[in-house]
Amino acid sequence: MNQLDYLKQFLPDFTQYTELRMHENRSTSITFVKGNLMRNDSSTIGGVSARVHKNKNWGFASNPQSNDEFVRQTIKSATQNAIFLDSRSTTKTQASALPNIASSSQNDFSTTKKRLAQKELITFAKELDGHIEKNYKDLTSRIVSLQCLDMQKTLVTSDGSLSHSMIPRAMVYFSFSTEKNGNPVEVYNLKCDLGQFEDVFQAPDSIYPQFAQLYEHLMKKRDGVFPKAGIKDCILAADLAGILAHEAIGHTTEADIVLGGSVAANYMNKLVASPLITLVDYANTAFGKTCPVPVYVDDEGTKASDTVIIEEGVLKSYMHNKESAQHFDVSPTGNARAFQFSDEPLVRMRNTAILPGTSKLEEMISSIDDGYYLLKPSNGQADSTSEFMFGVPLGYEIKKGKIGKAIKDTTISGVAFDVLQSVSMVSNEMHWDSAGFCGKKQPMPVGMGGPAIKCKVNIGGR
Amino acid sequence: MENNIEHAKYALDAMQTLGADKAQCTLTNSIKHELNVDANKISLLRTTYDTNLNFKAIKDHKQGTISSNKLEAETIRACAKQVLENAEGGDVDEAYDISCKQEHQTFECGLNEADLLKMHKHLSQFLKTCKKRYPHTILENVYLDFTKSDSTLLNSNGVHFDASKGIYHLTLMFTSKKGKNISSFNYTGYSFEQFDQDLIDIGMIDTLLDQSSQQTVLKPVTEKFDGEIIITPDCLGNFLGITTNFLSDAMIISGTSPLKDKLNKSVASQKLTIKDMPISENLANKSFYTHDGFVTANHSIIQNGVLKNFLLSQYGENKTSFKRAPNYGSHLVVDAGQTKLQDLIKSIKKGVLLCRFSGGMPSNNGDFSGVAKNSFYIENGKIKYPINETMISGNILKILKNIDGISKERINFGQSITPWIKTHGVTISGKP
Repeated sequence: MNQLDYLKQFLPDFTQYTELRMHENRSTSITFVKGNLMRNDSSTIGGVSARVHKNKNWGFASNPQSNDEFVRQTIKSATQNAIFLDSRSTTKTQASALPNIASSSQNDFSTTKKRLAQKELITFAKELDGHIEKNYKDLTSRIVSLQCLDMQKTLVTSDGSLSHSMIPRAMVYFSFSTEKNGNPVEVYNLKCDLGQFEDVFQAPDSIYPQFAQLYEHLMKKRDGVFPKAGIKDCILAADLAGILAHEAIGHTTEADIVLGGSVAANYMNKLVASPLITLVDYANTAFGKTCPVPVYVDDEGTKASDTVIIEEGVLKSYMHNKESAQHFDVSPTGNARAFQFSDEPLVRMRNTAILPGTSKLEEMISSIDDGYYLLKPSNGQADSTSEFMFGVPLGYEIKKGKIGKAIKDTTISGVAFDVLQSVSMVSNEMHWDSAGFCGKKQPMPVGMGGPAIKCKVNIGGR
Repeated sequence: MENNIEHAKYALDAMQTLGADKAQCTLTNSIKHELNVDANKISLLRTTYDTNLNFKAIKDHKQGTISSNKLEAETIRACAKQVLENAEGGDVDEAYDISCKQEHQTFECGLNEADLLKMHKHLSQFLKTCKKRYPHTILENVYLDFTKSDSTLLNSNGVHFDASKGIYHLTLMFTSKKGKNISSFNYTGYSFEQFDQDLIDIGMIDTLLDQSSQQTVLKPVTEKFDGEIIITPDCLGNFLGITTNFLSDAMIISGTSPLKDKLNKSVASQKLTIKDMPISENLANKSFYTHDGFVTANHSIIQNGVLKNFLLSQYGENKTSFKRAPNYGSHLVVDAGQTKLQDLIKSIKKGVLLCRFSGGMPSNNGDFSGVAKNSFYIENGKIKYPINETMISGNILKILKNIDGISKERINFGQSITPWIKTHGVTISGKP
């Protein structure tokens, strides 16, 4: 019996609005630090969860055991929790049924190739590490890390949704360190995509060109200069534009954050960005291709649809789960996602991207007299005000329209809606960052994407 | 607990039967009851059971690890087989090891069971009090949970530890909104054993909510200057985390830590003493043994400005010439200073009360930069106004050296205790 059929057996146990989910995350983690295998790990974490809704009160329960007895016990416990809260609620009005866009869907991205054993994955990572050690002698340290995550979910809901998915992703991360005058200098890059390792990676030598490119950046950064602090004309490369879209704009437009006081509550249908900016949270397919983290049916059972957040500069929509959609009297968008079996679905982004424009990157660089070309984010945080901060471990000066010296590690900050108002050029090349991991009570794989954008931003420095 | 031990023994035996030279198993069974608040309303009650079963096997000086949350015999045997395969596929490294034989010990802290009615009552009261005192503040999310966990660690050298913990945790995130003006969000969190006071009276919660309510109208510092800062107890955790990361296995083994040559040397002002106190009587949430199977002990990381310990595990010790730490930096306690907080503020000519720092990962040389959040501009000893769009940059090692004063007052977060620290030598840049 497949998992969907198995869970359907418990539909008669539902007494309220109920979601029942079986969920398993399988991960592999292999990390070499300076040639030492410091992590050689695999993990399988899964179980069953139920969430029950009664008069705007939610009950949730989960258990790692998922046989008949535990599934029934989990449904019962979640129901009792909803009843407990309802019985103590000071608002006794009968709530209307949650909005429903029921869907039936099965999407499995498992590889059809023979699975590699852990030993073969270690050999792959070791070959990468050996290549770096052999070819880049003046590194003081190096990291090669291979990370794979498969998320398998099966969901049935009392309002008619049935869904099964297996969404994997595989990543190789690498960082190089050197020193100048006793001070460490570091750069990193990665290759990551939707799919299991066997489908994403072919041979180690397919990554070698990225090593060479990274080493070149490191040598330039070793002689890097401090950027001059202040508001500057900058080109944010695709990776930074993507994180700006996700962290600084995306989070402010998650409907639960809007209800929590986000500045975006004031902006619906207003011009919040340059008309060059259109920003979309894609559910599963964009530009004719499957997105890095496709969501077909969310973890409340809603059929996932694209959310156009900003269209030609105008704020058009928030991202919703069923409850926030009911509050705002709109349709749910399929943004409710849970990371582990023991997690309740929260409003989360999926694949958030600024749409490409018409400018060429070279034209954008040549249009700047004194500014910066910023290539990579390290980490990022944003606020309900849309004020953001991103670490920038890799970037270059732009002087009189030409790329200049590399810069040392820095930070950019600003108010995202102001920064987007300042966008004057958008490149015609779209790039997805498939390795995003968003934090909001629970971690969550996300896709972030964009073209390069030219804008004014506050850069830290000396 | 008996059941835990049986499962852990079964897992350990399975690894040894399959040929592990050395093996370790840790098993934790937990149950969590969690009340959630969304936008000022109690919205969700969660009850989650979980199991965390970790295997470590060493064979021919090769090591693998694996984790699972299933306890069926068949799954345990499959995990044991897989962890041996992981090990066999790995690299030879003489530094892989398990802890040596130690006396069997059983540890306990906290309570056995959640009092759900009391949790609901206190949380409801907290919401009412907040609404009354801070009508413009939105509690975006509050999580109040009680987690009971029973853990066992066994290894093939005969180590056997059992630990039972039952602790409440409170985390809150909030924003204030007056008309169209909103504050930055702020957050904090505490661990505690008993409801012996109202939630709003725990630590800095009332102060932070009060500050948030003042932060809906903000302005940037109007210039760029080298200034002084007072780092609050909530914010200090961020900087301590950066510092302890410099002492970790990965950074010491790879040689990328700026403190790698500084053991027993001065790395901070003499005023600064940072301890790691996993079994402190003053901390509700204790930790009794390390992940690699050693009983923990309280120890000093920095004593009067001198670096006394790296935070190396057994593996780190075996890879370097330095000693394993008695704990790996999970329970930081900073000694109180001699100065009242109000006097620290009075002594500042021009600077910032840094209440939250939103910063990028610092460089390996300690350079950092980021935005001062939920913070206040100080001039001539007085707090003037709440700020936004103001960046703080400097070097973490320099600000530790430049400490001018540490407050007498400290905040106990249940897993750490920190004071206010005044330091100088940071660049504060606003918007002209």
